[in-house]
Amino acid sequence: MNSLRVFFVGGLVSYRALFNWINPWVFVPQTLGYPIFEILFFAYLGRFADVQSDKFFLIGNAFMAIAMTGFFGMGNAIGGERRSQTLATLLASPANRFALFLGRAVPSILTGLVVSATAFTVCSVILRVHFHASELAGLVVAALFSSFACTSFGLCLGALGLRGRSVSLFADTIGGSMLLVSGANVPFDRLPGAVQAVGRLLPLTHGIAAGRKLGAGASLGSVSGLLGTEALVGATYLVLGVVMLRVLEYQGRRAATLETF
Amino acid sequence: MTRAFLSGMWLHVVQFSRNPFDLSGVFVWPILYASIAYYLLDAKNDPKLLLSASLGAAVMLMWSLVVIGSSNALENQRWLGTLELLVAAPVPFAVVIAPICVASGVVGGYGIAATLLWGRLLYGVPLTIAHPFAFAVAVPACMLAIGMLGLVMASTFVLYRAAFSLGIALQYPVWIATGLLVPLSTLPAFVHQIGWFLGPYWGFRAIRAATLGSAPWQYIGMCVVVSAGYLVVGAACLRAFVHVARARGSLKLT
Repeated sequence: MNSLRVFFVGGLVSYRALFNWINPWVFVPQTLGYPIFEILFFAYLGRFADVQSDKFFLIGNAFMAIAMTGFFGMGNAIGGERRSQTLATLLASPANRFALFLGRAVPSILTGLVVSATAFTVCSVILRVHFHASELAGLVVAALFSSFACTSFGLCLGALGLRGRSVSLFADTIGGSMLLVSGANVPFDRLPGAVQAVGRLLPLTHGIAAGRKLGAGASLGSVSGLLGTEALVGATYLVLGVVMLRVLEYQGRRAATLETF
Repeated sequence: MTRAFLSGMWLHVVQFSRNPFDLSGVFVWPILYASIAYYLLDAKNDPKLLLSASLGAAVMLMWSLVVIGSSNALENQRWLGTLELLVAAPVPFAVVIAPICVASGVVGGYGIAATLLWGRLLYGVPLTIAHPFAFAVAVPACMLAIGMLGLVMASTFVLYRAAFSLGIALQYPVWIATGLLVPLSTLPAFVHQIGWFLGPYWGFRAIRAATLGSAPWQYIGMCVVVSAGYLVVGAACLRAFVHVARARGSLKLT
């Protein structure tokens, strides 16, 4: 019960604090602007290169927006505490670590889903790409699977924040790598075998593949294998992330690196 | 002021090289951009296009490093509580901020080398520079133009506490408007002229012209012209925005 309180109350307070100081005139363009321009950039690049359709890039990069919030949300959950010099105090508390940090990340991830959906809609209009209602419903399901997998992976990235600073920049780099490795912007079969092998072990790859099939009218049943694999990848990273939280917190205490900034 | 500028630049280059997470970005992004450009544009089977795309990817990286590096550096000063001290220093604030931006551009110079080398070694993109002397001038001219545009951007970062996020959000719009990877002819007409006001537009064309063998000096000249313009605008904006931030008492707010 206490963990649930930490999760909900801690997360809510953290999110309110975020909106207490971010100017909406800055927050809205920056959160919406990034995914919209990313989708447009790659869609026009694809048009110029005569590679794939606008739909291919629209779906791939809308999923990327979800991934980035998953990575950043968790990365910032710990990095933000370090920056505010509250990490040591927080870790001195007996609260469940998973509930503590997930509570801070989930609101950001939900915001990411809304941002991704908005960017998807805006870019669909600009690029004149149309989807049927059933295709959109399928995309939502695939997006939820990918969101879970990316958040789990973000937990691993966030745990690194217990040992080092600038995890946000690192998460940005990892997120950027996903532009290539996950097949978001390059057809997966064009990538070298080694990159494909790495991509299959990462979140998003199977989610995007499922999303593209669902966006093309496939049924949920026909992509159940891809969605199942995405869920399995997410579950694996979730376990790994929890272990990393525990191990790196212990090492951070021993090495006295919790307050380095 | 020269000493403040040079020592500031050195300090930020050294500071940047201390953090492995920061460095990971510098190592990974050139590889990433060059790879995406190759896998997408290889279909056209045009070696000159691939080389041009590698250069575009390198300038993209330079812009990212400047805009993210300067916003991150400013936000760090704010969080470390040193921003007010810098504002209060007798040296003009523009001389304090400009080294941060140019230092990021200098690190971006590595990005150019890494992107071209990566393209050459892994994808066999031909690396022949038609005018080596012009190329050697064009690269620092591009760094300067992009660094000085970063100065203009940095002035707004003084005003906003969410500077880092704002810096990240400014990457794609500039990449698109300057035609670094996507030719402007494929974009809607209203985008075409926006690039004229942006440093990466002229910097990229200067490097590309020097590499591919067309006339680079007009573009290098434009790099110098826009850099001077940015310096004037950036210094004026910095003065105005610092005044606003001091009046609001928001310099220290993290």
